[in-house]
Amino acid sequence: MTTSSFAAGAYASMQGIGGGGLLKKPASTGLAGGAATGMPDFSSLLGKALDSTTQAARAADVQTASVAAGRSDIVDVVTAVAESEAAIETLVAVRDRVIAAYEEIMRMPV
Amino acid sequence: MDLLKSIAVAASGLRGQAGRMRVIAENLANADSTPDRAGVDPYRRKIVTFQGRLDRELDAQVVELGRVERDRGAFRTKLDPGHPAADAAGQVRMPNVNSLIESMDMREAQRSYEANLNVISSTRRMLQRTIDILRA
Repeated sequence: MTTSSFAAGAYASMQGIGGGGLLKKPASTGLAGGAATGMPDFSSLLGKALDSTTQAARAADVQTASVAAGRSDIVDVVTAVAESEAAIETLVAVRDRVIAAYEEIMRMPV
Repeated sequence: MDLLKSIAVAASGLRGQAGRMRVIAENLANADSTPDRAGVDPYRRKIVTFQGRLDRELDAQVVELGRVERDRGAFRTKLDPGHPAADAAGQVRMPNVNSLIESMDMREAQRSYEANLNVISSTRRMLQRTIDILRA
């Protein structure tokens, strides 16, 4: 099946996302980069990805609140929400992929 | 990511057109603003200027509202001897705002705003479809 290689690719590109925001260029999204030494463990990777997603979501919340208070431009909210939406959906999709791969491995008859 | 950059660039376009709309609103609202005594200029029409700026963080060319200039065209005059701002000949200088021109400007701002909105919604759709690949 191609699921595991998909998951590995998603894993590698998620590292790029976790590294620093969606707006940055991904540092190394290739499979070779992910398989190299110095790869962080899964929990720290997940933590970083969650951090950047939470940051995007928080930025969207701050913008929404400041528009509600009449301080900010509605355009800023739209861009912040679009960015956080993209980050969250990517995170959720990658999580689903990784869990699917994990389940595939757990189903393996030993 | 380029898709998010294009949303940010289109957002700068939205901001620019919103500013233009504000200036058009000022012009239309002040189309009859005359001073209350003679010798003082009435409201002078404002003109927006746009300028491109390289956003270093985005690494893309965004647009922003430049200086709001004043229209140096001649004022309209109206014969109204009873007006407090009337000169010796009974003429009152009115603002150089032409509501027809402002309407056309407004239409143009609206179209441009919609074009930028379309860029945002298309980009979001592209982003969404790309994430959907990961999901399927």
